[in-house]
Amino acid sequence: MRRAFLKRVADMIRKEEDTAFFTVDIGMWAIRDVLAEFPERCMNVGIYEDGMFSIAAGMASRGLVPTIFGIQPYLIERTLEQIKMDLAYQKRGVNVVGTGAAVDYSKYGYSHYCAEDVQLIKMLPGCEFVAPGTAKQFLQLFNASYRNGHPTFFRISDHPNLRYDPDVRFGKAEVMQTGSRATVLAVSVMLDMVMEACAGEDVTVLYYTTLEPFDWETLAENCPSGKLLLVEPEYEGSLLHDVHKALPGRALRVEQVAFPREIFRNYGTYDEKMRHYGLGSLNIAAKLRALRD
Amino acid sequence: MKNIFRNLRKDALYLSHKCRDGNLQSVFSCLDIVWVLYDRIMNWSPEKAQDADRDFFIISKGQATLALYPVLIEKGFFDKEEVASEIGLFNSRYCIQTDVTKFSGGVENSAGSLGHGLPFAVGIAYAGRIKGSPSQTFVLCGDGEFCEGTMWEACLFAAAKKLDNLCVIVDDNDSVGAMIDMGSMRLKLEAFGFDVFSVNGHDPDALEAVFRRAGGLKNGRPKAVLARTVRGYGSPTMMEHDIWFHKAPDAEELAMLEKEVEAF
Repeated sequence: MRRAFLKRVADMIRKEEDTAFFTVDIGMWAIRDVLAEFPERCMNVGIYEDGMFSIAAGMASRGLVPTIFGIQPYLIERTLEQIKMDLAYQKRGVNVVGTGAAVDYSKYGYSHYCAEDVQLIKMLPGCEFVAPGTAKQFLQLFNASYRNGHPTFFRISDHPNLRYDPDVRFGKAEVMQTGSRATVLAVSVMLDMVMEACAGEDVTVLYYTTLEPFDWETLAENCPSGKLLLVEPEYEGSLLHDVHKALPGRALRVEQVAFPREIFRNYGTYDEKMRHYGLGSLNIAAKLRALRD
Repeated sequence: MKNIFRNLRKDALYLSHKCRDGNLQSVFSCLDIVWVLYDRIMNWSPEKAQDADRDFFIISKGQATLALYPVLIEKGFFDKEEVASEIGLFNSRYCIQTDVTKFSGGVENSAGSLGHGLPFAVGIAYAGRIKGSPSQTFVLCGDGEFCEGTMWEACLFAAAKKLDNLCVIVDDNDSVGAMIDMGSMRLKLEAFGFDVFSVNGHDPDALEAVFRRAGGLKNGRPKAVLARTVRGYGSPTMMEHDIWFHKAPDAEELAMLEKEVEAF
């Protein structure tokens, strides 16, 4: 996903004169040619985020389309006030592409984890949040939104889905299968695991890659049972508000497979972390059985 | 003090009285700077307010917004009675801190949170560079605001990108003295790569001269103008009593302060 993104950046900088790209000191090797060729519009800006966000807002105010690339917690948490005032309130079309969330930098400790990114951005009205599950989907979503005049946050993962790669649309959920006994929301890189757990089950699977704006309509049309399993690679509860908005007045039964709301003091591999916190097809299947029966 | 500077202050007093809010000490501190920029320096007029190549004025010290409205009133861009009757009201365009989302032209940034305006201005100046625009960007900062890290991040970027189309004005009314020992702003900004100028921020001719000198230096270095100012300048009462940092005059005080300004 990272490679696809940087390749797109190189293409964008070469062909679109009103675009600019700033990396917070990562990914330079992949775009070394454009960095050298277009030093004004494509640069390693150095290790700072909050000032950079305001600078990007100023550039957007004069009609440029800036994209910033960095590590998710620094892009989103260090900069929260800049996001609120300089991007969201002023409706500045700045794109922010973050790597690392939720636990891709699994050995680096809590500073590098960011399971809270979705909720933080969704908490600030006016921002968009996109979490593609594959490189192809990243490109579909980026191309659909990077010039739309809103601040858009992209969470890119080094652990994409390998089996399932449906076409996706910005702002829309995809119906992967339909069934009557429960509805499963698979978010981003959780799709493979969800599909494995739901194979042969009489359940609906909806695949979400745009988390803000949330597609309430598709959920409303595809939840006859009122039983919901939310499977998301972020802190639990990140989408509960939207579930209730989509299904007002309904008695719902909700189960979740997601990171628990706690401080992660462990290291290890990505797979160890996912296993430890129950983000896997076995746990999904177990939760689904409990919900369905 | 020339009449225009009295009138600007009386406008600010009136607006503050009408909206029952405001930071008049800060406003009086920087009014002369803002007027000189709009009247003598900037490529700006009401007709050019949306011109892509106009000069930009950014208020980074948001508490001085009531200095911008009087200047734009005196320049004929805003109507005084409209601003006075609407400022701060529920659905008004006129916020106590400038709100760029309510205007197309005239107000260039959203102020309020300190440490945002300078990097925003740097983005405007840098975009001008990329687009090959001749516009200049002027940004008014408070000395106290330089405690924010984003200010120095912006300075680093401005110098590294050789933004000689940027002029940072420090309204140096020694607010920071009550906070922390900032040391020498001149040395700090010079070390960051700025051409630094000092001036009496209440002397219009000296301000004009320094802005012309700074603007003429197209040497790949951003400019900083350290303007020595006095909080509440133009009213002995405000200069003496810091309660006027955040206080609006009632009718009686308005009359008293107007008299002081008249006599200053």
